[in-house]
Amino acid sequence: MIDLNIVKKNISNVASCNRENGEISNSGNNKFVLVSMFLILIILIILPNVLSLGITPGRTTINYEPGLEKEVEFSVLNNEHKNMQVMLTVQGEMNGSVELYNGMVEFTASEESKSFKYKFKVPSGIEKIPGLHTAEIVALEVPKANEKGTYVGATVAVISQLHLQVPYPGKYVEADLNVLDAENNGTATFIVPAINKGKVGIGEVRALIDVYSKLNEKVGSVETDYVPLEAGARTELTGKWNVSVASGDYIAKVTIFYDGESNKFEKQFAVGTQALSIESILVNNFRLGEIAKLQILVENKWNQELISVYSNLIVYNNEDQVMADVRSATEKVGALSKKELISYWDTVGVNEGEYSGKLMVKYGEKSSDKNLVLKVSEDSLNIVGVGYAIRPQGGKGTSLTTILLVLVILLLIVNLAWFVFYKRLTLRKGK
Amino acid sequence: MNTHIKIIGVQGIFLVLVIIALFIFYPRANVDVNGNFVRFNSINANVIVISENPDFSNPRYLSLNETKNVSLNLKSGTYYWKGDNGIIEGVKKEFVIQSEVAMEINKTENESDLVNVGNVKISVKKNQNGIMVGRIILDTQESEKIENVNETYVGGQND
Repeated sequence: MIDLNIVKKNISNVASCNRENGEISNSGNNKFVLVSMFLILIILIILPNVLSLGITPGRTTINYEPGLEKEVEFSVLNNEHKNMQVMLTVQGEMNGSVELYNGMVEFTASEESKSFKYKFKVPSGIEKIPGLHTAEIVALEVPKANEKGTYVGATVAVISQLHLQVPYPGKYVEADLNVLDAENNGTATFIVPAINKGKVGIGEVRALIDVYSKLNEKVGSVETDYVPLEAGARTELTGKWNVSVASGDYIAKVTIFYDGESNKFEKQFAVGTQALSIESILVNNFRLGEIAKLQILVENKWNQELISVYSNLIVYNNEDQVMADVRSATEKVGALSKKELISYWDTVGVNEGEYSGKLMVKYGEKSSDKNLVLKVSEDSLNIVGVGYAIRPQGGKGTSLTTILLVLVILLLIVNLAWFVFYKRLTLRKGK
Repeated sequence: MNTHIKIIGVQGIFLVLVIIALFIFYPRANVDVNGNFVRFNSINANVIVISENPDFSNPRYLSLNETKNVSLNLKSGTYYWKGDNGIIEGVKKEFVIQSEVAMEINKTENESDLVNVGNVKISVKKNQNGIMVGRIILDTQESEKIENVNETYVGGQND
């Protein structure tokens, strides 16, 4: 928990500084300054007041090593580009093992972020307590006082977590379940990320997933592949399930088997949640420099009408900055029917070339997304979809290790053959 | 003796030829990471294999047949990748997308919104006078109406 007494003490210092600054600025009689201040005041009244703070990384994970001492870097982000004061503190179970080099830091408007370090020393005796141990580095934006020296309103603080993983004796697997593409009459993919948090490697880890309805009736069973898993390593086990059940919620009961031991857990998932799919994107009569009409065909696969459906196309330039953010009008898409969403992209100032993009079709709080490449030329716009799994398989090339192994074996055979031949030749000559 | 030298020489030439072939056919690609945005640029790779696991279990395959680069948004974490061109599979490389915990309070005259402007789901503790009085879970870009009184919102990465 943040110690608010320390915060208040520091805030008092800041407040007194602010009051002094206020007196200095009031002493001036320059009309220009007054007009400027009046304008700024009006802008501040019109614009919403924003309080913003960030920290990265959100989490640093360290695996236990005896006597480990490490410096960890983190950055505080001044997203709003403003003058601010940030207080850094440590809290959590291992707070005594973290030494911060900075307590109070100042940001100017020109500073987007600032990097800091802390020193972490593994607490003695912690190896006897396997599992997760944590500490939190808290960055708190010190609120500014008003003219009366009081502080009104909410403040924000952000945390960079430090996770120390102490291995369990023997073999110990922690796992989770992700379900992809669980659509009616489709093939769902069950992914079981598994981490060996034990000290000993595992010869074979696999999972068995039994699918149950809400009425506790078993409706399916899936076995994943099996792999070895070294101590501290992570892998993902996968299994396929032909979905022949109705849309709705189901429970996956997962059993992880590893070298004669097992763990069990359950997770709920839904079948048939993907209600809307992007079928195609058409662009007719394209001329660079004019307004392009994009016709995005979507299909509602749900047996209910979807309201408030719209598309949002984002196009990135070669510096990965957003160069276009185009939205269609909001439409209703009838149950089990198709509809065209129309967007207009103003291509004034756009050069010929290839651009990355992302098309999102939003409905309610959900979204169907597609990564795209837009090939722009003077009189054509070709849009190529480049989703994640373009090919069901890939990577058919031979690995470097295999090539080098074959090479070594080949040279070994050649040399052995030569050696045998030479020996026989010498023997024959001797006789 | 001359035959020995000839055989060693032939083997040497063979090795040099193999190394040249490897250099020519090796699938070359590079990656640019900018926040959550990742861009793979291919020189002669036609597939990028990417996985969250060092053993490349459950990989994703990004086709580079139609274009020389591919961009995608990824959630924070460590990723392993290699290029492939159907002849040789490249060596494993990795990159990290750092998680960013960031919050914003948008204050207007009548109401205030707490917004998750970072790239991970966050768990936000609402503290009043040093005591935790509530908790909010916010996904990225998700917001929640809050009272704009003397409270501190402390946000950290949610599992």
